[in-house]
Amino acid sequence: MRGSGRRATHAGGESPIRLYHVSKSYLAGSFALHDVSLEIRKGEFVFLTGPSGAGKTTLLKLLFAAERPSEGQILVRGRNVGRLRESAVPALRRRIGVVFQDFKLLPRRTVEENVRVALDVTGTPPREARAKVFQMLKQVGLQHRRFHHPLSLSGGEQQRVALARALVNEPEILLADEPTGNLDPELTLEIMDLVVGASTRGTTVIVATHDMGLVERYGKRTIRLEGGRMGEDLQ
Amino acid sequence: MVAVLVRTALRGLQSSAVTSVAAAGTIAIALVLVGAFALIAGNMQGLLQRFGEELQVVAYLESDIDAAAAQQMVERVATVEGVQEVEWVSPERALERLRESLGGGGLLEGLEENPLPASLEITLAPSHRTPEGIAILVEAVDGLPGVDELAHGQDWVEGYSRVLVLVRSAAVGLGGVLALAALLIVANTIRLAVYAREDELAILSLVGASRTFVRVPFLLEGTLQGAVGGLVALGLLYAAFIMLVPEVQYGLELFLGSQQPRFFAVGEAAWLVAAGAGLGMCGSGAAMLGWRA
Ligand SMILES: Nc1ncnc2c1ncn2[C@@H]1O[C@H](COP(=O)(O)OP(=O)(O)OP(=O)(O)O)[C@@H](O)[C@H]1O
Ligand SMILES: [Mg+2]
Repeated sequence: MRGSGRRATHAGGESPIRLYHVSKSYLAGSFALHDVSLEIRKGEFVFLTGPSGAGKTTLLKLLFAAERPSEGQILVRGRNVGRLRESAVPALRRRIGVVFQDFKLLPRRTVEENVRVALDVTGTPPREARAKVFQMLKQVGLQHRRFHHPLSLSGGEQQRVALARALVNEPEILLADEPTGNLDPELTLEIMDLVVGASTRGTTVIVATHDMGLVERYGKRTIRLEGGRMGEDLQ
Repeated sequence: MVAVLVRTALRGLQSSAVTSVAAAGTIAIALVLVGAFALIAGNMQGLLQRFGEELQVVAYLESDIDAAAAQQMVERVATVEGVQEVEWVSPERALERLRESLGGGGLLEGLEENPLPASLEITLAPSHRTPEGIAILVEAVDGLPGVDELAHGQDWVEGYSRVLVLVRSAAVGLGGVLALAALLIVANTIRLAVYAREDELAILSLVGASRTFVRVPFLLEGTLQGAVGGLVALGLLYAAFIMLVPEVQYGLELFLGSQQPRFFAVGEAAWLVAAGAGLGMCGSGAAMLGWRA
């Protein structure tokens, strides 16, 4: 039982993200994504680029089931997320960390509590949760700020909190939508180094950005979307 | 997990203090109104019961009925539906009672002849101490040969029980309407709280919170708000009760006789608080129906 489960996971694990002819249409007659097929291997780091409105955010949303595809199949960790039951969505999201340009932190909660939310929803015992949160905050260099509130932190620090929240569950996949869009160049590198670090530890990472400087600097695989269609896919 | 849910609920109450107070207040107002009606109806019902215990129908007999004939009538009346006890009171016994009640003065000394008629004092079984029960008795006894006149409190009982039915149905009807109104207002109030925390809910859902994890704190919050509303209502009613009762004591005595006005028993008070908690929980449940991640 366990063995066969392993094998299935392993097959998906080689390419935890696969899209086959995926289209997404919010409004009849116009496509935010059109016939997109791609495969991303385990531990791979991928930039998703393209002009504004190209469909980058839409693609990420499809991956964590915030939106459903209009056509095509999306396999995440071997599961067809386009057809996922509503009740199965939380389990998927616990395996995927997500960060956004605007951080999406809870302003009334401390840094520690913001990170802890991700463990609370999984029912992690308090003692274990506290230890994990501390470790995670240390990793992003914010352990000394754990009792502060997000709004008293700099933008870069807030994004580090958001990253800590996304990674504290040790997710297999990290999705980042313009994670450095609000940050100056120095803080951008700080965040990107953390994201790249996660991928070297085996997490599959997709970073959506239209910052071409960033893309060139890191020299990673880059998938370009244009008007919802697949453009270049440079290794 | 439970601790986390409770903590989240408490935090929610704290962060939406204004809407929480509004929800609890709404429930309190509704329950004060319902509770006041329940108190009034309860006290009136108590009075009717007490009145019923003293209720007797007296049949005055014509003067030519002797003891033997009277005894026959006693037996006859005792078979009427609902009659518990029939007692024959002779003219002599009636005069004696009158003397006793006048305090043995010389007022009745000059009487040549006993002017008082004999009578039958009829007591109804508790289940028949109703307007209908009295009507049955009156009908059966009124036409009997030898009965001169019937004295009974039928009109009184009828009027009183009609008022009681009215008050009771008003309490139930008004209670229902108020509960529904409170439910809607509470649902809306809590929906505001949900909107106000939409960002928080979105983040919870983003990190993989289940529906239960998102909803239970709101249900707990609603229940707690409702219970607090119920307690406040209870407090207000009790304060009003002890402040108002002495003010209207004289009027109440006329109305209730020696019966003391009664507040809710512990069990009834608990029901009021439970009703508040139930209202709050249903209200937040209704508010959550509209929300999805
Ligand atoms: N919820 C929505 N309803 C309707 N249309 C939408 C919705 N979300 C996105 N769109 C449309 O889909 C297209 C792709 O949008 P998307 O947000 O995926 O682009 P993007 O590449 O992330 O752009 P940006 O770089 O500006 O963030 C756009 O034309 C956008 O207007
Ligand atoms: Mg976008």
